[in-house]
Amino acid sequence: MAQYTLYRPWAASPAGGFDELRREMDDLIRRFGSAGASEARGVFPAANLYETGDAYVLTAELPGVSSNDIQVTLEGSTVTLAGERKIDYPGGGTSVHRLERQAGSFRRAFELPVVVDSEKVEAIHKDGVLMLRLPKAPEHQPRQIAVKAD
Amino acid sequence: MANEAEKTSQIQVRDKQTIAGESTRPGPVFRPDVDILERADAYVIFADLPGADDKHVDVRLEKGILSLDARLATHPESGWNPVHLEYRIGDFHREFRISDDVDPGAVSASMRDGVLELNLPKSETHRPRTIAIQTG
Repeated sequence: MAQYTLYRPWAASPAGGFDELRREMDDLIRRFGSAGASEARGVFPAANLYETGDAYVLTAELPGVSSNDIQVTLEGSTVTLAGERKIDYPGGGTSVHRLERQAGSFRRAFELPVVVDSEKVEAIHKDGVLMLRLPKAPEHQPRQIAVKAD
Repeated sequence: MANEAEKTSQIQVRDKQTIAGESTRPGPVFRPDVDILERADAYVIFADLPGADDKHVDVRLEKGILSLDARLATHPESGWNPVHLEYRIGDFHREFRISDDVDPGAVSASMRDGVLELNLPKSETHRPRTIAIQTG
């Protein structure tokens, strides 16, 4: 069964401010906390989300995954990354000294704060890193309001 | 480890291991995950270097130590404001002690989808040989 994890780090919580403070503290601890602290909570692939004025940018580390083995789907404001990481050794190995890399299937969903303009989404997979550029729907884009002199 | 991965078929992210000290460049340095295999005629190393391309990977073999250094080919742009960060980015470094049977002149490397494949052929004298038996 594929793994399915829905992240809603930005969804407004009913408890309001205190939850938000706690979340921020958790983030700080995760980012600057003790060495060896989990950064990615063990879910593959690890992903980073950035915001620009008119878009969100999601990057995910997928080393060794071929572009054909990655499916990106967008539904409203939810982006799903799914696929499979295959590891095969041409020629075979007579003996194994070390195995740290893992193969298997993955599936992750990310809920963005706003609806995305699905027509304009770009996905670039380069050097084992997937980059999704997710432009915000027009109604969520920042708009400059011209101020008129009276 | 291997059996476990085969059974579950779900991948877990391994925490990036930071290497302390000795760097002359700012930013963290991570120890990449590797697989090391041995075939009859060669050793093969696979290293996960997400974000590095062939121009940013440096492999050296000196005094029996194979050292691997990699830098990222692309970085987050300055206008990207972090919202949610799960992984850190930085350089990669790892060293391997290579056994005497490797032919230093024959080492080759290739990159694909952020994975480095290193081929370390064994020198002729260390390769297994089939001796033909003659009927007489």
